[in-house]
Amino acid sequence: MEPLKFLSDDDLKAMHEATLHIMSEVGIIWTHKPSLDILLGAGCTVKGNRISMPAELVMDSVAKANKRPKIRGRNGQVNELGGGNLYFHNLGGARDVFDARAGTRRIATDQDVIDATRVLDALPNCHTVTPFFTPQDVPGELMSLFMYRHSLPHTTKPLQGPGIQFAEEVKHAVEMAQVVGTTPAELTLSLSPVSPLTIHDPAAAAIVEMAKAGVICANLPAPIGGATSPMTISGSLVQQSAESLALLVLAQIVNPGCGVVYCGRLGMLEPRTGLIWGGVELGMSSAATVQLGHYYGFSVNVYGFSTNAHTLDAQNAFERGLNATIPALAGADELSGIGEMEAGVMGSYGQMVLDNELVGSVMRLRSGLSADVEHLAVEIIGNVMNGTRNYLGQKHTLKHLRAGELALTKLAERNSWETWEGKLERKQMADHAVDEAERILREHQVPPLEPQQEKELDKIMAAAEKEMVKKKKK
Amino acid sequence: MSEELYKQMAQCIIDGDSDISVELAKKSIELKMHPLETITKGFVVGVNYIGDQFGLGEAFLPELVMAGEAMKAAIAVLEPELLKLGETRQMLGRVVLATVEGDIHEIGKTLVGTMLSASGFEVVDLGVDQPADKIIGKALEINADIIGMSALLTTTMVRQREVIEELDKEGLRPRIKVMVGGAPITRDWVTKIKADGYSEDAIGAVKIAKELMGKAD
Repeated sequence: MEPLKFLSDDDLKAMHEATLHIMSEVGIIWTHKPSLDILLGAGCTVKGNRISMPAELVMDSVAKANKRPKIRGRNGQVNELGGGNLYFHNLGGARDVFDARAGTRRIATDQDVIDATRVLDALPNCHTVTPFFTPQDVPGELMSLFMYRHSLPHTTKPLQGPGIQFAEEVKHAVEMAQVVGTTPAELTLSLSPVSPLTIHDPAAAAIVEMAKAGVICANLPAPIGGATSPMTISGSLVQQSAESLALLVLAQIVNPGCGVVYCGRLGMLEPRTGLIWGGVELGMSSAATVQLGHYYGFSVNVYGFSTNAHTLDAQNAFERGLNATIPALAGADELSGIGEMEAGVMGSYGQMVLDNELVGSVMRLRSGLSADVEHLAVEIIGNVMNGTRNYLGQKHTLKHLRAGELALTKLAERNSWETWEGKLERKQMADHAVDEAERILREHQVPPLEPQQEKELDKIMAAAEKEMVKKKKK
Repeated sequence: MSEELYKQMAQCIIDGDSDISVELAKKSIELKMHPLETITKGFVVGVNYIGDQFGLGEAFLPELVMAGEAMKAAIAVLEPELLKLGETRQMLGRVVLATVEGDIHEIGKTLVGTMLSASGFEVVDLGVDQPADKIIGKALEINADIIGMSALLTTTMVRQREVIEELDKEGLRPRIKVMVGGAPITRDWVTKIKADGYSEDAIGAVKIAKELMGKAD
């Protein structure tokens, strides 16, 4: 299908030019001395505490980047990003678990880090897994590494992230990935600059380490339109792009040709309560981010499933349905958000299963329609009119049912009232999803790591703790 | 005469117009109006109104920010006059604000600071990425009544507990009260880390701070 376009070619060119103008004329707050020296050596200039990046350097860096990185799971599964496929992954970093049976929430525990990974491993439409929950009894410095370590044994799919904040985390994350056979060039790490246009020292230091290690930089600018970026979505997209490209420039100077994924996490200010995650503005800005990233030839990763809702209700369904569909139709390469609820602070097992089914429908939309001879079916229409005058017995019918003309759902309710009320005991889609999540948690087995691998992971965590926690406590 | 001026003062805060709030503050000085009354009968009325409207979902966050800024601008004009009279604005309490170590987000915290100042608290805002010892050191230095801590990330909120544990260890509570806030903060978390108060927004934070000082509205 033709990709959905919110922006014309002229719009994209104007946004590109505005981005370069911001990077060279407004500048980016940057105070980390070692990386500043690297940037100055490459032709950037400093005005006060802001660095200016000339347009040629930015475009040269864009040209050098590996825009088709591949990520790998320990089962050998390789997702080639930017090759035309759409890969879904889950939300990372949720604090709470929504208990759909009780209608209550609880704080996520260590066990939830494991259980979420197992459920995501079992869901065929979750193509990449990231560590889901943030258990609060873990020391802050170790949170990302802890989440990664305890997810690794429970999926064989590509396990990506974690979102990091400090340079020290890079080495340990890379070492852990290598234990399961994922090389640095097949591992994405992400960090978020501060909006507006601020690269704080730990972030700059971390980017240098990420580039040196040769990992795929999937950095996540997350401005909030109206608060940390302009109220107008186009202005926010330009600022977001400048933040993203600024980190890319440093990475490409340090290690030309290292992998990059162009990401955007633009949210909008809810001017009465805080943050919009469910509004259609998210889907629209994600779609525009896809267009902008594709303008440079990058593979693009944006928000997909996103809602402000607190339960598995109508608001939740229509918000996440729209917000995943719009960027998918714009040609997104990766969409996030499986399992997400309440603007990203909560997740649930039932939601993961629901999203797995929603992905099926989104993929069906992406595959679009064909008007070739086979699909126009003129000959079949003629045959049927001369014969049985219905299509049920046609090989053509079965062939295309099997080929995916319909996205056949497993959870959506499509029975009569009588069947629904009787045999199905009035269960709705969300009820089926919760049942299925519980079944997965009971039954799904993930091939365990070798004892030696577990030992190595423990050793890496012990070293990380010694280096990062003890040092800070002095 | 002054009634009309008070109304205009309240209105310019509601409109978030710093130029007019400064102009009216200067005018009140020319008219020899008492600066303290100018603040309480004029400008504060506007802040309270916009706060109430925000609480009702009728005002937007940007209006709150602009009202706070307009208030600050007016106070900056009037404070030297108070000093000349040998008076000070009676402060409701002293607050040290900071975003915890490892976290560099501060919009919400800054807004809380603005609203606390506008409501009559003395606020020292340490900024972002502040370790426990710095926060506590500053609180001791200025003899603070309240420490307010912010965290935006689920990965950094755990640091709020470290500050509270440190305060407990030093035996500084309940002398120093602790307020926490930030997007991932919930009532359960507040209970768990034994903080004294929390709010989901800046207007609520003012209310909590007043309660902690025993000066509830």
